[in-house]
Amino acid sequence: METITRSYPPARKDYLRQQKESHGRKLFGVFPAQYPREILWAMNVLPVEIWDPPLEVSHANAHLQPYICSVVKLGLELILQGKCGDLDAFLFPHTCDSIQNLASIVYDYLGLDKPCYFFYHPKAPYGSASRVYYMEQLKSLVSQLEKQLGLLDLSELNRRVAHGQRVATLIRELYELRTRGALSLSNVQFYKLIRYGEYLHPDDFIPLLERFLGESKAENRKRPAVILSGVLPNPPEILSLLDQFGVRVADDDLLGCRRRLLEPPGKAEDPFEILTEGYFNMPPCTTKDSPISERLDYLIEKIKLTGAKGVVFYMVKFCEPELFDVPQIVEELKKRGIATLVIDLELNQGLSGQLATRVEAFVEMIS
Amino acid sequence: MSLVRNLRYHFMKDLGSPALMRFSRATRKRRSRQPNPNFGPPLEASARLKEIMTRHYFLSRYAEGAKPVAWVSSGAPVELLRPFDFYTVYPENHGALCGAQKMGPELCSVAEEHGYHQDLCSYARIDLGHYFSRKTPAGKLPKPDLLFASNNICQTVVYWYKALAHYWQIPLILFDTPYNFEEINGIDIAYMVRQFEEMIPTLEKVSGRRFNYRKFQGIIRIAKEASNTWGEVLDTMKARPAPMTIFDAFGHLAPIVSLRGLPVALEYYRTLLGELKERVDRGMGAITNEHKRLMWDNIAIWYKMRDLSNLFAARGMNFVTATYTNAWAETIPYMAESRPFESMAKTYSLVILNNNLNHRLGLMERLIKEFQVDGLVIHSARSCKPYSVGQYDLRRLLMQRLGVPSVVIEADITDSRAYSEEQARIRMEAFFEAMGV
Repeated sequence: METITRSYPPARKDYLRQQKESHGRKLFGVFPAQYPREILWAMNVLPVEIWDPPLEVSHANAHLQPYICSVVKLGLELILQGKCGDLDAFLFPHTCDSIQNLASIVYDYLGLDKPCYFFYHPKAPYGSASRVYYMEQLKSLVSQLEKQLGLLDLSELNRRVAHGQRVATLIRELYELRTRGALSLSNVQFYKLIRYGEYLHPDDFIPLLERFLGESKAENRKRPAVILSGVLPNPPEILSLLDQFGVRVADDDLLGCRRRLLEPPGKAEDPFEILTEGYFNMPPCTTKDSPISERLDYLIEKIKLTGAKGVVFYMVKFCEPELFDVPQIVEELKKRGIATLVIDLELNQGLSGQLATRVEAFVEMIS
Repeated sequence: MSLVRNLRYHFMKDLGSPALMRFSRATRKRRSRQPNPNFGPPLEASARLKEIMTRHYFLSRYAEGAKPVAWVSSGAPVELLRPFDFYTVYPENHGALCGAQKMGPELCSVAEEHGYHQDLCSYARIDLGHYFSRKTPAGKLPKPDLLFASNNICQTVVYWYKALAHYWQIPLILFDTPYNFEEINGIDIAYMVRQFEEMIPTLEKVSGRRFNYRKFQGIIRIAKEASNTWGEVLDTMKARPAPMTIFDAFGHLAPIVSLRGLPVALEYYRTLLGELKERVDRGMGAITNEHKRLMWDNIAIWYKMRDLSNLFAARGMNFVTATYTNAWAETIPYMAESRPFESMAKTYSLVILNNNLNHRLGLMERLIKEFQVDGLVIHSARSCKPYSVGQYDLRRLLMQRLGVPSVVIEADITDSRAYSEEQARIRMEAFFEAMGV
């Protein structure tokens, strides 16, 4: 375990500074969730995702109502506290109503001297128009970026698309090992590793994943298994608690993690086509309006593969895309005898005694 | 479609509903209320509005099995459904009706018992509550054969309709409108046009009818004329005193939302416009003593309409414009019978809630100037994030640019449990003080 800990990269802030200084990379603050990171890498940009910065919300309350989710609030707080000075631009993918309007607040009202980009991805149910449009959107994003960053080198894009695939392959291997109960990492360690992908450049992330894969194989099957669904594994204290109770997270359906994992490439050769295929082949997701039946089939398949006895829904308070699907999914899972636990929390809220008791009761149910 | 149900539908349309209207008129006379001295005489067209909407909901009970039934979101391009003869029901309109009848908490609670969180949109919770309980002030809503939604008003409506599609096990057609962050470009328009083309086979299959392009063009013409007339109706409130209040307009909005593309909506707005023009000519105001003119931002607080209307009228304050009512008139100039698909793409993707906040700021500035607005009431609606996120900044910027005082009321569109009487009273008193009334 010590070896693994030594493999961790430097702290986020130091790493970003180093990226700028040593590689001349631009840093883009990217809001959740779906965006073509390979294009940014190819243009020597490091996307730095903004999900749950560890801040107290104060300034953002002057702009946002109390009923807005903490992903949006914390992201805005980060900007308002002047902690984005190192960033060269922002990218807002079209994830939900709140992020959509946040993008407009930042771009139209805050008067920042940084470019803001917006990336619209088509919503399901998809027709052939959706695929054409997605590819057009990729090219349109490139055109906009070229105004700030210079021309895109297609061979570099090809290289970075391959890196995206390599990252996905390695992460998939880690997930598969975990599904088979053959990974020694704790729940906390696993998600710490996966979440490095939110800001590490593939040149650093790929070797890190390879090291972890080499060092983390171990029989770990006997522990009861659960699946996580929701936005992201925050608060991490729940992961610690599951570790403490000897529960193994065998797979997940988290927006920030598994739902963004690329499937192996198909027959396409053109990088834009590969990226388009990648988007449409990703797992079903609320932010893409995937039908509930698809999400349910996906979860049930995971339950079968892992032998999980329960699903923990890791909800961010006020997150409409997730909260709308939960009742039907929970109902269907219950019909199949799968235990469910719905946790509805602000990010970085920590773990209350009451919540710890609920998690404990859930663990007793599945053990 | 069943022949018996079809005959029953037509019987009710030709004989049942006229009889109901006659009965309704007779009952209304007996129930006449004491006039409120703060208001001018009620609009005569209101009786016709009630008839139209009562008939619409009454007939909807018989539409199931007689006609293809579609449940449609308020911003969806319903014109495309009309040539297929769908009977259209608007869950948002139904939600507003439930809200106004103060049934919101009851129906929302039913949805909550089935796992839908209290933080979710209350229109959606009302609708899902109706699904589980079948309770409705409209008597009965027909089971849909199709769901038709557009995310031009919010993404929420898609999450909600996805739930309905799963429960009813029926198709959901989504008109996906790219958000106008900077501009809607040719790529966006082409995407939307292709979506329309891809919808037609599904609509043909569900309705059992072939698409008739000429009929469609005729519907576009009627819809455009009705929306233009609705715009003229709203424009009459530029007059001093304004011939109606925005609370009236919230009610008169129903046909342009629910019956757009049908001749009855156009006919109705012509009648209403005629009456309003006459009032303007005669200098007749909606309230008797119009001192201050206000703008409303966001959807109505349906369960508080009467209270708020009375409260403001008693202080000589009239709401003369609203971003909400304006939404069904603002983008209609883009609509063109000669290029129906392209023009619909523009009309529907540039609506206020699919447009950036800079656009909204410009729109509000224009409305404030054109309608000579003295103050702004902002409804921060828990249910509607695309409408509400950004309001605090809008308030600040409008104050900086135009010096317009404003108040924010934290509430909800239909769930009165989210409304704090005390907090609203304190805020409004401070606002009245700032307005000098």
